[in-house]
Amino acid sequence: MALLALTTSAFSQQYLTREATLSFDAGSPLEDIYAVSESASAVYDAATGKLGVQVLMTSFQFKRALMQEHFNENYAESEKFPKAQFTGVFQGGEAIGQLTIHGQTKDIAVPCEILEADGSLILIAEFPVNIEEFGIAIPGAVADKIAKDAKVQVKATLKKRA
Amino acid sequence: MQIKKTLFSVVLSLQLITAVGQEDDLFSLMDIPETTEFTYATFKGTRIINAQSNETPGRGVLQYVISHRFGSFSNDYLYNFLGLDIAQIRMQLDYGVTDRLNIGVGRSSFNKVADGFIKYRLLRQTSGAEEFPFGLTLYSSTNYRGARYTDGVDHFLTDRLSFHHQAIFARKFDESFSLLVAPSAVHWNLVPGPNDPNTTFHLQIGGRYKITNRLALTGEYNYGSNYEYSDGQRFYAPFALGVDLETGGHVFQFHISNTNAMSDPLWVATNPYNPLDGSLFLGFNISRVFTVRD
Repeated sequence: MALLALTTSAFSQQYLTREATLSFDAGSPLEDIYAVSESASAVYDAATGKLGVQVLMTSFQFKRALMQEHFNENYAESEKFPKAQFTGVFQGGEAIGQLTIHGQTKDIAVPCEILEADGSLILIAEFPVNIEEFGIAIPGAVADKIAKDAKVQVKATLKKRA
Repeated sequence: MQIKKTLFSVVLSLQLITAVGQEDDLFSLMDIPETTEFTYATFKGTRIINAQSNETPGRGVLQYVISHRFGSFSNDYLYNFLGLDIAQIRMQLDYGVTDRLNIGVGRSSFNKVADGFIKYRLLRQTSGAEEFPFGLTLYSSTNYRGARYTDGVDHFLTDRLSFHHQAIFARKFDESFSLLVAPSAVHWNLVPGPNDPNTTFHLQIGGRYKITNRLALTGEYNYGSNYEYSDGQRFYAPFALGVDLETGGHVFQFHISNTNAMSDPLWVATNPYNPLDGSLFLGFNISRVFTVRD
């Protein structure tokens, strides 16, 4: 009976959202390059510390339609690589695990906060992503306009799973 | 008692299985369900070469297109400095009112034609949760011939007008290959003789194949219902082959074709150049877009 109670409590330690805000800023003084997705998903298991974040590349909204098209068509290659994701653990104020963008996976450890508020969890992270490390080529003609490191921001309110 | 024990262990093992399943599935919980996505970038430009593509500039985007068609290889090519001296030119300014509606004006040097056009994406190809296999864009242009008539007859303004209406069906088959088929009608208010048709029907076929992310090969062919007129004029089906090169806000299109007119009815319906005579023209379209409204 004790085991039964334990498994039930492990079950209810999972938190989830499909409306996480994930943005990146790869702008430069020459060009404003900023995009935000309001439909990223995030999961967290408070019992094990496992943390995951996922976003569809085509869900990033840019101010300019043409920039959005170029992002999907020429840089992220969203038809080939539709998703970016992080899977790992939250441990000692850091998110440690694997980040996959553009089909390439790298180990990362970045500062991350998880706060509790009204039974929900608020996840906040901000970290740089080196664009070329993920095999996204930037042609010389636009190299001055695009930042080498995109500043990624994640904000999510995770609800406990029923 | 025995039954109770069995029941208990069954319940317990079921619970455990669920718990284990939950643990393994944590990351699958975040899998985003498939959404319906509009297909983007079926073609790079709003024209393939001469033919309209299904694309329109996005909402709030002002597009300026400058096009040249140089003199043909068969027309004193070197004397005309590789055709540059007798180049035809077209300037076009158009605006994306919405993501689907595009309006614009243009001026082409051949026959001094001024035109206005409207283009509307009626259906868009989608993929994902709900798939729709093709896009349909409607296009219509009105063209005013500014060149003087040399027949000595006083012409009404309406004589100078001609129209081109088109339904452009396009499909992006995969990330590199796109095809379009566009039935169209050309109407001339004035034709050479009473037995000549004022309206002719045409079928355009065009495609593009992407070689790299920023470079693509393009081609188009246009078939017409009537190419012979009572005054002895004989016309030829226009075709073109080209390369699309994209850099940031520019699209460069370089091509070779058997037509040097760029306003709609002229290149579509009354192209006098036979490629077999060496009447082939090099040309380019360069577009620049400006986002004027966010």
